[in-house]
Amino acid sequence: MPSARRVRRALAAAAAPAPFADARVIGLPRALMAYRLGAKWRAFFEELGREVRVSEPSDRGVFERGQALSVDECCLASKLFLGHVDALAGEVDAVFVPSLSGSDALHTYCTKFQALPDLVRSAFALAGREVRVLDALLAEGGAEKDERASYVELAARLGATRREGERAWRAACRAQRDRDASLARAQAELVAASSRLPRAERPLAILVAAHPYVAHDPFVAGPVTDALRAAGATVLFADEFDHARATRRSHDFSATLPWIVNRELVGAVLELHDAVDGIVLVSAFPCGPDSMTDDAIALCVKGRPVLTLTVDAQSGTAGVETRVESFVDILTYQRRGGYLNG
Amino acid sequence: MAEKNLGAEPRATVSLREGESRPTLLRRRRARPDRHSRKRVAFMHYGYYDVAFQYFTEHVLDADYVRMPAPTRRTLEIGSEHSNDYVCAPFKHILGDYVEALEAGANVLVQFTGYCRLTYYGELQEMILRDMGYDDFEMLNFSFVSGRPFKDYVAYCKKVVNPNLSVAAGVANMLVLLRMVKHLDAYNDYYLANAGFEVEPRSFERAREAFFEDMRCCSTMADVDQAFRRGMDALRALPTSKPERPVRVGIVGESFTAADPASNLEIERKLLSMRVELARTLNITNFILRYSEENARRSAAPYVTYDMGPTSSLTISAAKRYIEEGFDGVVHVKSSGCTPEIDCMPPLQRLARDYRAPILFLTYDSQTSDTGLDTRLEAFYDMLAMRKERTI
Repeated sequence: MPSARRVRRALAAAAAPAPFADARVIGLPRALMAYRLGAKWRAFFEELGREVRVSEPSDRGVFERGQALSVDECCLASKLFLGHVDALAGEVDAVFVPSLSGSDALHTYCTKFQALPDLVRSAFALAGREVRVLDALLAEGGAEKDERASYVELAARLGATRREGERAWRAACRAQRDRDASLARAQAELVAASSRLPRAERPLAILVAAHPYVAHDPFVAGPVTDALRAAGATVLFADEFDHARATRRSHDFSATLPWIVNRELVGAVLELHDAVDGIVLVSAFPCGPDSMTDDAIALCVKGRPVLTLTVDAQSGTAGVETRVESFVDILTYQRRGGYLNG
Repeated sequence: MAEKNLGAEPRATVSLREGESRPTLLRRRRARPDRHSRKRVAFMHYGYYDVAFQYFTEHVLDADYVRMPAPTRRTLEIGSEHSNDYVCAPFKHILGDYVEALEAGANVLVQFTGYCRLTYYGELQEMILRDMGYDDFEMLNFSFVSGRPFKDYVAYCKKVVNPNLSVAAGVANMLVLLRMVKHLDAYNDYYLANAGFEVEPRSFERAREAFFEDMRCCSTMADVDQAFRRGMDALRALPTSKPERPVRVGIVGESFTAADPASNLEIERKLLSMRVELARTLNITNFILRYSEENARRSAAPYVTYDMGPTSSLTISAAKRYIEEGFDGVVHVKSSGCTPEIDCMPPLQRLARDYRAPILFLTYDSQTSDTGLDTRLEAFYDMLAMRKERTI
């Protein structure tokens, strides 16, 4: 009977809704956690047979688009995120905007990452723009089975079966692991090579401790790393370090620090403390987690000079360059035995 | 039965014995040990909940409570001097409170835990205080036992405050405490709805002070219930002149700033003095004791689909409910840099646009001057009153 068949088909559609089965090109905004988990997400969608388009690196144009869409008080990184979503909105079938949830009160992400899908939808609705958001709740950093289930659910919404979803998740994890490991290995080799040099010839090693989406974004911390390199220093990144080892080490620092990413950074700062000459903390104004963690690092981590930089988009790069240059000068003099012996 | 016993032998007799009287019960060999701890426990200022904090200290922890006077300008100045510029304002208020409490002789400071920066408040504040040179204190920081079983909470309280703590009495009194919090919040709801229309100036405020003092003296469930009944009777007996259609405003926002008069520059008193009927869903009863995030989120649909942060679902669902119930306006109160509440603003703006309802967004930092706030509130009130006149 045709009507019974129709009912059955409707029920099947309701049981396995795949509203994004038609989305062939998925946009990945190059902002926020894409710097940390981008390899995973990219591999996941590619395994499911989608084309992934990553937005171009941030520049002033992206920032201005983002700022027009955001509330003034938002942090710089989230304004950039909205700018990247806007840049992708017309070009792809759906923009991937996940909501990340931690497992409990002591293993969380900044609440911004939880709110992103709703934030993007509201911001675009207010601006009267169209955007198709592929949203998902990802249990990232929680128990493995929760994480897998959340990815399988995302795959189901793209029209994949459970088996396909699990395979894609495994491939995604592998890709992310490989990327993290290769970055960590490269950095460890850099540290080892530098320590083999005679003391006088060793370049200054400066550790940049910042969220990955701050440290590697050319618009945010780009001027800082450029200035450090121009001054002849070797730049190390706290996020290019073995994450598991850093997280373990961070328990020496704090029992209640709730943010997973900040834990990785703090742990890496402690682990690399002896191998570097100075530490630069960079945060995007006004970053909630950093407003507290930077204070704690300044109070607790002694023995290496610390420079705290807060970046916002209003300022030119001259101020940052001056501060970085003077920091490097001080370290250079210190290595030669103080100003009097320089 | 009675007829049957008539004329029968008496079953028992009572006789008086000569000599000195004897106690009916045998005296204990050993006096019961005094379980009270002499630790002096202090909390932050948080609205009217210091009554509950005192009960928690005296009847659950069984220790001394350091009752602090209302915070002053100095409190906030100390707090902001020793914290990062762009940390959220509650951190600064609480740090100032702690310094003043330590100066008043407290040696245990209590800090709660949450789902935002609040989780890390306790540890960082302890670091800052020790760095300032205060070292004769301990922190009862519930973040350390967050998400752990109940016995860990007990063990932690025993370790920090009172090793002789009676768990049985503590649990029983905890139930009284929860009842007390519910009563305090219910009282405040009535107060906010009616205090704007008092006939005799400050009569509601005086009644409320008396109620808090009454509540402070309670120790049992019956005491708490009776104090609440007395307080509500006194409040209801006060004369009011409520107009037919008063201007009604709902307050939503961040859990600390929206509920603490010292942090929000007494926004409630200011609005009440303009003869406004107020409502604030955000209190401990609604946010902690009876809170269901999923339900709040469902009622906030379609503006929210995910859990956006600790108070986000409550904020947006409450604002939506106020608007649907015909409130004239909503005030969104938050501290500067509060990420979850900043993320609530786009959904709230969308709500305001869809329902054509006015929402006033207020951001508080560690400022001490309230002239700017007065102007904004007056303008908001005028706008609401004019809108009200034009509509039927």
